[in-house]
Amino acid sequence: MSRLARHGWCVATALVVPWLVLAAPGPLKLAGIPPAWSVLWLLPWALADGPLSGALAGAGLGLLLDALHPGPITQIPVLALLGWWWGRLGRQGPPIERSFSLGLLALLGAALLGGSLILQSRLLGPWPLEPALHTWLAQTLLTALLAPLLCSLQLLLWRQQIQGGRG
Amino acid sequence: MQAGRRLRLPALGAVVQAWPWALLVLALLAVRLSKGVGFTDAYALLSRPFWPGSAQGEWVRSGQALNDQTRLRQLDADNRRLRSLLQLQGQGGRELAAAVISRQTGGWWQQLVIGRGELQGLRPGMAVTAPGGLIGRIAGVTPTTASVTLLTDPGSRVGVWVGRVRRHGLLTGIGTSRPLLRFLEKDPGVRPGDVVVTSPASTLVPPNLTVGVIQSVDDRAVPATEAVVQLSAPLEAVDWVQVRLP
Repeated sequence: MSRLARHGWCVATALVVPWLVLAAPGPLKLAGIPPAWSVLWLLPWALADGPLSGALAGAGLGLLLDALHPGPITQIPVLALLGWWWGRLGRQGPPIERSFSLGLLALLGAALLGGSLILQSRLLGPWPLEPALHTWLAQTLLTALLAPLLCSLQLLLWRQQIQGGRG
Repeated sequence: MQAGRRLRLPALGAVVQAWPWALLVLALLAVRLSKGVGFTDAYALLSRPFWPGSAQGEWVRSGQALNDQTRLRQLDADNRRLRSLLQLQGQGGRELAAAVISRQTGGWWQQLVIGRGELQGLRPGMAVTAPGGLIGRIAGVTPTTASVTLLTDPGSRVGVWVGRVRRHGLLTGIGTSRPLLRFLEKDPGVRPGDVVVTSPASTLVPPNLTVGVIQSVDDRAVPATEAVVQLSAPLEAVDWVQVRLP
């Protein structure tokens, strides 16, 4: 069982993600595009709690976020995949905690998430590529810029919770 | 008559002394011949402090506005009656005001969330307007909220009409702040500045709602002409919207 999920409030922090998506705070936008909040929450969770917990958290978060938007486009597969991948990375080798590493992982995650949305949109209908690439680029860059600050703080908090649970 | 009396010219000195009177006569003649130029202008200048003030102007404007409203109401009633005779989509009955509680005008989805929902009678498909014109349609409802897909969303498609050239088109969101208007035929004769309204033949949205203004036209687009439309409602700034109830 997920060690973080034993603390109910840790799971409840996932609710911040859809609320941030809805609130869309203006100062945290780049060219009108918000960051991928789901990536910024999922990355430290999966790194701290492993692949199974990461995949489940990704799928749950995807369900929440899909409920906020109309249309058949989904974020569930990519978020679940990212959660599983980052969980494996967190379990193999030394713990990932450098700012550059977190930024790079967030950049790859946001790029994959945006890429999957573009792919689904193109498959479903004629969606102009140029505005989509603008959104993809801005969101990827902004997510990577915010990740070192936000993800390192969360990672510290989750690891403290896990170590506290062991003790 | 006394013989030998001679005509005497006035003395030069007297003529010189009378020159101001001569000037006055000349000025009066000038006023008379010019129909008051200078005189009425001087009067206007002097009497300016006593002209009708802003209050009188407001009265006139409010009277004009009342007249316009009455005329608009009458035309609206006529329009409804004629549309019902033709069995076309109505303008929509009453309007329900709703606050914008979430605004996502950038990113993958372009939508608003408003603070009214199913409990207030909102249903998917209803048209949503803001000061300026149509902004989108309701895509989903919860008991107390509704999500509005904006005209700029890539999934949005609305039939529109350019009244000047009497041409139909399909307004398609492309993910930017300005949607694309795709016409049904080549060379429809539109030009930048033409006003775009919802199609009178639309079955999805009420007819003749203002949508925006054509900003640029691409005549070389295939298979038919395309135009970029600047929406008349400011999506970034709108805080309250009106939902058109049937």
